[in-house]
Amino acid sequence: MSEQSPDVHALDPESFLEEVHSFEFWFHSVEGYLSGQTYGHRPDVHGAPLAPDERERLVTVLCNYCIGETAALEGASGLVAIAPNRHTKVFLATQVVDEGRHLEVLLHRLTDVGVHAPEAEIERRATRSLLQFKRRLLELVETRDWEAAIFAQNVILEAMEFTVFQTHARTADLVTREVLNGIVKDERRHMGFGENELGRRLKLTPHIRARLGEVKKELDHLVLESFEETLRALAVPAAERPELGRHYLEVVARLGFA
Amino acid sequence: MADFLSMYSVQHWLESCPQGYLRNTEYGHHPGEKEPELLLGDSLLREQAIGVTVQLVVGERCALAASSGLVGSAPDEASKCFLATQTLDEARHVEVFTQRLFDLGVPRTELESTIQRLANPNLVRFAEVLLEKVDRKDFVAGVVGQNVVLEGMAFTVFEMMYAGNQALNPKFAHTLSGTIADERRHVGFGENRIGALIQEHPHKRPEIERMQKEMSYWMLATFADSFRGTPAREEARRLRASLSGSGAPKAEWHGADLDALEPEEMEHLLADTVLKEFKVRLGRIGLEYQTPARP
Repeated sequence: MSEQSPDVHALDPESFLEEVHSFEFWFHSVEGYLSGQTYGHRPDVHGAPLAPDERERLVTVLCNYCIGETAALEGASGLVAIAPNRHTKVFLATQVVDEGRHLEVLLHRLTDVGVHAPEAEIERRATRSLLQFKRRLLELVETRDWEAAIFAQNVILEAMEFTVFQTHARTADLVTREVLNGIVKDERRHMGFGENELGRRLKLTPHIRARLGEVKKELDHLVLESFEETLRALAVPAAERPELGRHYLEVVARLGFA
Repeated sequence: MADFLSMYSVQHWLESCPQGYLRNTEYGHHPGEKEPELLLGDSLLREQAIGVTVQLVVGERCALAASSGLVGSAPDEASKCFLATQTLDEARHVEVFTQRLFDLGVPRTELESTIQRLANPNLVRFAEVLLEKVDRKDFVAGVVGQNVVLEGMAFTVFEMMYAGNQALNPKFAHTLSGTIADERRHVGFGENRIGALIQEHPHKRPEIERMQKEMSYWMLATFADSFRGTPAREEARRLRASLSGSGAPKAEWHGADLDALEPEEMEHLLADTVLKEFKVRLGRIGLEYQTPARP
C-alpha cells in the first residue's frame, strides 16, 4: 500500500467518504498497530502463568467475547448486502475482516490458556442475554432495516465491546491486554462510522430517531443484563457491577444517542 | 482440519496479502502508473477497455455479495474467519476495478449508469444463479458456486488478461496480478474445505451439479458476447505492433500467441481452459462436472 493522502479533511464530503471508507485507508489505519503482531500481540510478550481461578474467569469472559465478536462478524457481513452504496459496502467489508480478526485472536487466546475445544467451551459458558442480543441483532439485519441494524451493530454492540474491552484491558494479563487494546482501536473506527452514517441520516430524516430510541431501549436492557451475568460469573461484588453499565451508557450518549 | 484452516486464517492473510504482495501498491498497481496514452487517446480502445472493466466490476460485486452472504451460514469459526478475509479481498477488487473506470475517464457521477448500460445480461444471470443459493443460506452450494465456479472463472480470465496486458498496459497487468493471487487462495479454500462437506451431505450433489451447469452456460454466453463483437480488435493489434518495435514480448498464454488468434479462437481457448479447470476442481471435491449447452 502506498502513502496515504496528506489531509483527508481538505476533501469535499463525497471524496472524503470515498477516501475514509476505502481498503487503502483501512490498511493504513491498521498497519501501525498490527504490523509485526501475531494473533493480536507482540510475539515476544508472554504473560505470567495464571492461577486456576484467574484462568477460569478469563476463559468465561473470553468465551463471551467470542459470542459478541461472532455476532459482530455475522452482523457486519450481513450488512454488506443492504448497504446503500459502494463506499459503505467497502467500509463494511473492512469491518468484516476486523471482526473476523477479533474472533480469531480471542479463539487463539483461549487455546493459549489451555482450552482445547473452544467452540464447545463457548457454547457451555455463553450467557443467555448475550445470545439473545445476537439473535435480535441478526433479526434486524435480516429484515434489511439499514438504520436500525447499523445502529444496533455500530453503535450499541461496538459501544458495548469498546466499554468492556477497555475496562478489562486495564487489569488483564499482558497478552490479553495487548489483544484487547488492538481490538479497541478497531472498535473506535467502527463506532465512528456508525456515528457518521446515522448522524447524516438523522439530519435529513429526524423522525428515525424515535425508531432508534425503541431499538436502544430493547437492546440496552440485554446489554446491561449480559454485563450483570458476566460480572456475576466473575464473582464481582454486586456493589461494583453497575459501574460497567454506566460507562457503556456514557459511551453511547457521547455518540449522540442518549 | 484445524491445521489446514490455519493456512486460511486472518493472521496468515494479513502477513501474505496486505503486508505481502500488496505492500507499496496503489489501487493494486505500482504508485504513479497510468493507463497508456495510446489507449486513452483512442476512443474505440478506451470504450472497449471500459466495457471489459465493467464486467470485472459486475463479477466482483457478485463475489462481494456472495462471500459476505456466506459468513453467517459457515459451519465453523475458521471458515467464517476465512470468508471475512475473502469479503475484504472482493471489496478491494470492486474498489480497484472501479478506480480503473475512473482512470479510463468515466465520470464519478456516471459510474452506476455506465455499469447498468454495459453490464452483460448473461453475466448478471450467472450472478443471480449464485446469489440465489447464498440467499437461501445454502453454504455448500454457495461455496462451490463462489469459490470453485466464479473464482475459477475469474482466475483464468484474469490470467489471460494478464498475459495480454503485461507489455501493453503494465498498470492494469499489475492490478490483475494481485487479484490473481487472491483468487488462487479463494479457489484453494473452496477445494479444500468443501470436499469434506460434500461427503457429509451427498444428497446435495445433484442440485450443486445443476447449478454448475447453469452457471457454466451463462459464463459461456458472456464469453461469446465479449469476443464476437470486438470492433477494437484491429486497434489493439496496431497498438501492440507499435510497441513491438520497442521490443515488447509476445502475449503468450497456454502456448498460444494471443495477438495471432482470431476472436473466436480466443473465445474457444478461454472457454476450454476454464471448463477443463472446472472438471479437475470439481472432481477433486467429489462432484461430477456437467457439460453445459453451448450458446
